[in-house]
Amino acid sequence: MHPAFSVIFFTVASGAGFGLFSLLFIADTFKLGGGFTPAQLVIGGIVALGLIGFGLLSSTFHLANPKNAWRAFSRFRTSWLSREGVFAVVFMPLALVYLACIGFDAPLWLRETFGLLSAVLAWITVFSTGMIYACLKTIRQWNTPLVPANYLALGYASGSLLLLLGAVMAGLDTLPYIAMAALIVSIAAVLKAIYYFWIRSPGLTPTINTATGLTRAKVKLLDTGHTHGTFLTQEFGFQIARKKAGLLKIVVFGLGFVLPGLMLVWVFNERDGQAAAIIAAFAGIAGAAVERWLFFAEARHVVNLYHGAQRC
Amino acid sequence: MNAKIKLENHDAQEIKYTTCYMCACRCGIKVTLEDNKVRFIQGNRNHPTNQGVLCAKGSAGIMKQYSTAKLTQPLMRKPGTERGEGVYEAISWDQALDILTDRLEEIRSTDPSKLGFFTGRDQMQALTGLWAQQFGTPNWSAHGGFCSVNMAAAGLYSIGFSFWEFGAPDWDYAKYFLMWGVAEDHSSNPIKIGLEKLKRRGGKFVTVNPVRTGYSAIADEWLPIKPGMDGLLAMSMVHVLLKHEKFDYEFLVRYTNASWLVVQTPGQKGDGLFLRDENDHPLVWDIDKEAFRNGIDGDIAPALFGEFVAPDGRRVKTVMSLMVERYLDERYAPENVALECGLPAESIERIALEMAHVAFQETVELPIEWTDVWGRKHDKVVGRPVAMYAMRGISAHSNGFHSCRAIHMIQMLLGALDAPGNFRARAPYPKPIPPHQLPENNIDIINAPNTPLSRPPLGFPTRPEDLVIDEFGNPLRIDKAYSWEVPIASHGLMHMVITNATNHDPYALDTLILFMANMAWNSTMNTANIQDMLRAKDPEEPGQYKIPFLVVIDAFHSEMTNFADLILPDTTYLERHDCISLLDRPISEPDAAADAIRYPLVKLDRDVRPWQEVMVELASRLKFPAFTKPDGTRKFKDYPDFIVNFERSPGVGFLAGWRGKDGTKSLKGEPNPNQWDKYIENQSFFAHHWPDNQKYMRYANKDYLEVAADVGFVGKVEPIIMQFYSEPLQKFRLAGQGLYDGPQPNNQVDRERLVKYFDPLPMWYEPLEQQRVDKEEYPFFALTQRPMFMYHSWDSQNVWLRQIMAQNYMYMNSRRAAEMGIQDFDWIWVESHNGKIRCQVKTMEGTQEDTIWTWNAIGKQKGAWGLKENASEATRGFLLNHLISELLPEKAGERRVTNSDPVTGQAAWFDLRVKIWKAAPGETGSWPQFDALKKLPGDNYDRPDVLRYDARSHEKN
Amino acid sequence: MRLGLVIDLDVCVGCHACAIACKEWNASGTIGPLSDYQPYGAEPSGVWFNRIRHYEMDEYPNNKTVNFPMSCMHCEDADCVTVCPTGASYKRPEDGIVLIDQDKCMGCNYCSWACPYGARELDRSSGTMKKCTLCVDRIYDQALPVEERQPSCVLTCPAHARMFGDFDDPDSAVSRTVRERGGFPLMPELNYNPTNTYLPPRRKPVIPVDTQPRGGLKESIKQFANKLVRR
Ligand SMILES: Nc1nc2c(c(=O)[nH]1)N[C@H]1C(S)=C(S)[C@@H](COP(=O)(O)OP(=O)(O)OC[C@H]3O[C@@H](n4cnc5c(=O)[nH]c(N)nc54)[C@H](O)[C@@H]3O)O[C@H]1N2
Ligand SMILES: Nc1nc2c(c(=O)[nH]1)N[C@H]1C(S)=C(S)[C@@H](COP(=O)(O)OP(=O)(O)OC[C@H]3O[C@@H](n4cnc5c(=O)[nH]c(N)nc54)[C@H](O)[C@@H]3O)O[C@H]1N2
Ligand code: SF4
Ligand code: SF4
Ligand code: SF4
Ligand code: SF4
Ligand code: SF4
Ligand SMILES: [Mo]
Repeated sequence: MHPAFSVIFFTVASGAGFGLFSLLFIADTFKLGGGFTPAQLVIGGIVALGLIGFGLLSSTFHLANPKNAWRAFSRFRTSWLSREGVFAVVFMPLALVYLACIGFDAPLWLRETFGLLSAVLAWITVFSTGMIYACLKTIRQWNTPLVPANYLALGYASGSLLLLLGAVMAGLDTLPYIAMAALIVSIAAVLKAIYYFWIRSPGLTPTINTATGLTRAKVKLLDTGHTHGTFLTQEFGFQIARKKAGLLKIVVFGLGFVLPGLMLVWVFNERDGQAAAIIAAFAGIAGAAVERWLFFAEARHVVNLYHGAQRC
Repeated sequence: MNAKIKLENHDAQEIKYTTCYMCACRCGIKVTLEDNKVRFIQGNRNHPTNQGVLCAKGSAGIMKQYSTAKLTQPLMRKPGTERGEGVYEAISWDQALDILTDRLEEIRSTDPSKLGFFTGRDQMQALTGLWAQQFGTPNWSAHGGFCSVNMAAAGLYSIGFSFWEFGAPDWDYAKYFLMWGVAEDHSSNPIKIGLEKLKRRGGKFVTVNPVRTGYSAIADEWLPIKPGMDGLLAMSMVHVLLKHEKFDYEFLVRYTNASWLVVQTPGQKGDGLFLRDENDHPLVWDIDKEAFRNGIDGDIAPALFGEFVAPDGRRVKTVMSLMVERYLDERYAPENVALECGLPAESIERIALEMAHVAFQETVELPIEWTDVWGRKHDKVVGRPVAMYAMRGISAHSNGFHSCRAIHMIQMLLGALDAPGNFRARAPYPKPIPPHQLPENNIDIINAPNTPLSRPPLGFPTRPEDLVIDEFGNPLRIDKAYSWEVPIASHGLMHMVITNATNHDPYALDTLILFMANMAWNSTMNTANIQDMLRAKDPEEPGQYKIPFLVVIDAFHSEMTNFADLILPDTTYLERHDCISLLDRPISEPDAAADAIRYPLVKLDRDVRPWQEVMVELASRLKFPAFTKPDGTRKFKDYPDFIVNFERSPGVGFLAGWRGKDGTKSLKGEPNPNQWDKYIENQSFFAHHWPDNQKYMRYANKDYLEVAADVGFVGKVEPIIMQFYSEPLQKFRLAGQGLYDGPQPNNQVDRERLVKYFDPLPMWYEPLEQQRVDKEEYPFFALTQRPMFMYHSWDSQNVWLRQIMAQNYMYMNSRRAAEMGIQDFDWIWVESHNGKIRCQVKTMEGTQEDTIWTWNAIGKQKGAWGLKENASEATRGFLLNHLISELLPEKAGERRVTNSDPVTGQAAWFDLRVKIWKAAPGETGSWPQFDALKKLPGDNYDRPDVLRYDARSHEKN
Repeated sequence: MRLGLVIDLDVCVGCHACAIACKEWNASGTIGPLSDYQPYGAEPSGVWFNRIRHYEMDEYPNNKTVNFPMSCMHCEDADCVTVCPTGASYKRPEDGIVLIDQDKCMGCNYCSWACPYGARELDRSSGTMKKCTLCVDRIYDQALPVEERQPSCVLTCPAHARMFGDFDDPDSAVSRTVRERGGFPLMPELNYNPTNTYLPPRRKPVIPVDTQPRGGLKESIKQFANKLVRR
């Protein structure tokens, strides 16, 4: 699949935003590391909403006819894309109310209720984002529960690293934040490793034979019937060399998991590693971006079978 | 909720019927117009040719109509610029016609042969030929000589009709279909319709072709033959049939010359000619009467086999005996030709026997009463349902004439001709063998100023006396057709015109008119050198070109127009009157004689004129007798008027429908002033459906032949007896042997060629170019095929069609490529004895291992066809033609000889041999490249980056 | 009703007529115009609803070439419709035709991701997704002669390799042909339940050859005898 920049930016940024927001709620509820001040919470919340907002905005750049974007909420019952949109949109006011509760010192039950609701919605939204891809039977590399799991894990990993950065900057006790980040990043790393391992196995996918129904002998493409590219080749024709994908996977692990992990140790040792926390957060997000690029690049749509691929 | 579906606004639309022009198939089309814009072109269900279907080119006609390559006004090469630079100035039609009239008047009143008028895939050769004849120049022909004259000539010298438009398989009854070297053919849609019919009925379809694409893709069996070997394959099949005594004895006796007696006196005059009686009738040995009898008569019982002594003491043998002697020879045994053909011996033998089985065990009998030309009544027609079709895979080789005759030999042996289920004739065929029409060869008439020729420039020689040569044996035609070099060149040699005219060999031309032929590019051999020839100056006449004046009539900005001194812009097919006449290459089907018209459907938006209009105008200005009244004034107001009122013989004109004063007569009748309207009313075509008793065996069908004679298809009612053994060929051979009473060649090369290639029975020899190039050095055969959705060069301007193919590749066999380390999309060099090109490779399974091939005419010169200079047709597409020479490789002590079939002059496009190697890293893009064509005055076309064609006036998305 | 096409791979010669007829009809049809990019330039491309690909089976010399037209399959379980967030893509309950409402589509490409058959192409100029309409603006147009109320590609196909009809009706020509010829869907394992059905290449007809010829094998001219046949 052609990795579209706007979609990568959208999923990474909004994933991190939703992750951050949910974890902020947990940090607030359990007053982790001593607890953020209301002002700090609001700033953190705004950062999270900013990430989400920019992400959503950038996703509309991907639309060829954005003037109809508002219609995207209409197929909530069948379309994960529609659901994602609806959840994201429902999340926004709830999240704002939660932040308002904090800002205006509303009763705790109110604050907790809205916090919980928005955290759950955040989770659901990221899950929906994952499901947008996971529900496609046409792309084996996506059509797996590992995908929403990955989306969630990476979103929360990015969020946890951002939260840690916040905790460091706020001068809180970073230990719980380090523990939380370490846990989530590890889960994300394990899930990603499982995913990478899983897509390497060929699996029972359609082949050029089942695609054409010519099952009795070897089938080869002779001609696509159009000399130059078409919408199909532009959208689905993208291919990445195995070697390059392997290298990028090392980058994903290095940037996304190993480097943040090392930085966590650093922060843990220093008890005041602002620089390390910054590096951890940026590395984590950059790793997620590379992961996302690779997620598209490695996906092979079955339509490629008609353009000569032997299997997808 | 469902969205509203917008339907057509029929009120704003108009429907008209006309004839497609995107290729020579000439299907009927139904055109929907909206606001003078073309909304939809579809097939006309009632039309005999396409029965409602339409090919890609036909449907894409819209984009031809709105092409940015359309010429807009007459253009003159700008004074002071060189030919080929492509710098033009607009002139008015009056100026253009005055210039041309003056020039033609001068030529016609001095030396009419100094005009050459050659036309490409012209669909009105009856008119262009008449025009040339009236002008008085022998130098006219259409594209037949470089196209498929081998097929036409082989058929017309053997069976009275032919592949290449004069016959068609009987798809309704055929049970076995053998297709030789066909990718697309002129009969594009009928073949596709037919193949499906055949397969639906469970018939078997076998294809003989080095490449498996298109029609061959759906064949039940593919014989990947080595190019140029078909004659051998066919003769091997004949071997098998003879060996198993699988031939139609009765058919041979009744309808062929298999029983005619041939004189056997080697080394003496008269050897190899038929034994004839005092009235010149060929004789047979009647086994009943035990006497020599007239072989054309009825009520004879001829011996098919045997050797006899003629009353004058000469030894004679039946044709059949000669055939058995020759083809039963082990030389033709399947196991002995297998290696050369590249096919398993088993397949050759089996296919021959399968055909025999279907012909003789699965006979189709229709309860139709008919009468043979000898008066005998038959209560049924018997069809041997083995059909064949062959085209340029056979014809475009220098041994194609004989290979095609060998195929006809199989058909004759099986008795599978013009009967249910086999290969049937299309009116006005069959004709006498060969047709009774000789080319003008009277030198006095040819040289006479202001005098029409007494006969057409083209025809069918039967003996050396018919050649078009002077008393020293020199050619009288610029293309040397009908000279000793190519004696029965029935369609001329268009591919030699530019070379000969440049070399002033046999003489110089003054003016060359080229109508719809892209002779500076894809329809020429040796393209780059030909372009140089067009630019060549005459050292003896400083400032003058070797070809002094070049007129090009085209509708589009082709590579050829770029060399014109005068460009006359034509209309498109939706803008003009046209007629597709029975006097020409007909659109008849086996069951119906048919013709058709076109008439203007859309309004002209440019200063262009139909060439036929211009021809009538010029003919009137030049006062051609057929176009002038006795008082010297013009006879025909315009082209439509000419078509209605011109009569070739009383009652016979260009259009066969609705003749007679009141339009009630068919095929023959006085001119009808309302004929055009009648055609338009009847969806622009006319079909005369043959009654059942006139549908079959028409070479010997009395009722049919009577009609045919009446309407001028044949001269008189007489049997058309098929010729296994061709006496005309033997006469030329005798001339080569020095045993002929009449003209004989004095050049050794000509003598040898006559002796070697004018075999009266089908023969096989290695294609001429291949006899002269080193096979070790040039290991591959190189071919082209026609893509089904492109017509030669003229469809790259079509923005829909070019999306399907904007670049051609060189295809080769996967395994062979792997052995050479060549992969898909590698750039390679391809070199022949004539030059080299660079192109990109694709590998495939379906190509014979020693063959490489590409799609024809996709490569374009930069700037041509209304395309931008970076069009991939120009930067990555390529033309194979650079490698093909119009002359055979030089041989010491011999003059340069044309690269053509030695019998017919058919251009030998597919004899090419090449070597290939991988281009160096970084060597990409096609080579050679040429200067870009410049934009023409009047080309104000918009070339947007996104085109959104929409014929509707409203409601756009 | 369940309308769709049957494509006969046994007779498709790969002529692209159906692709052009489709382009031609739809350019000025209910979903047109259909953009062409770089129409005169280096790499011409555009929006098409029907494309013909060409494949080869097996290896030389046993290879067979198969021409392969593909357009929207009007799937029964069309994920392209389920995934569409705007409701622009819909399947008509009355006849099963899958269509895209050009007034609703936001051009997100998501449906094209969900389509296994490459049937959907984005028109960059209108910003909307487009695809085969099964010529819905022909087949129901009462102003057309009955025999022309057929998809443009079906009408034009010179090899009659395309059939249009109702797959719900067991007696329709399409249903019968599919039964008789062993029609199959493409990529059935994805469970889209496509309506369009492909007919496989037929088996080669077997023709007996008479191995023991009645006339016997002739080795020389002397073995042939004359028969009495009169003209
Ligand atoms: N779409 C389309 N239709 C056309 C045309 C066009 O340009 N486009 N051109 C028209 C014209 S002018 C003509 S003359 C006809 C020609 O119609 P075709 O005769 O169909 O022309 P080609 O494409 O030259 O096909 C030649 C075929 O012969 C095969 N072949 C080559 N050498 C040999 C050989 O030695 N033996 C055998 N058995 N096969 C061989 C090639 O692989 C190829 O398949 O088509 C007409 N129709
Ligand atoms: N390598 C190779 N070369 C070949 C062949 C091959 O098989 N291989 N085949 C050969 C054969 S068989 C043929 S027939 C030739 C065909 O070659 P050409 O006859 O040269 O065919 P086109 O390229 O179509 O060129 C015809 C010209 O007619 C013009 N034209 C189109 N419509 C009109 C019109 O309405 N009026 C006028 N006045 N002009 C019009 C076009 O613009 C074009 O310039 O090519 C030959 N060349
Ligand atoms: S075969 Fe195609 S291009 Fe040729 S006349 Fe028929 S529809 Fe037109
Ligand atoms: S029109 Fe018919 S034969 Fe031609 S490609 Fe389409 S389906 Fe095949
Ligand atoms: S073929 Fe593709 S676009 Fe058509 S209905 Fe099926 S999934 Fe949808
Ligand atoms: S591109 Fe249009 S039709 Fe396709 S999913 Fe998006 S909104 Fe729906
Ligand atoms: S049914 Fe109509 S829209 Fe669909 S492929 Fe055929 S012509 Fe195109
Ligand atoms: Mo031709």
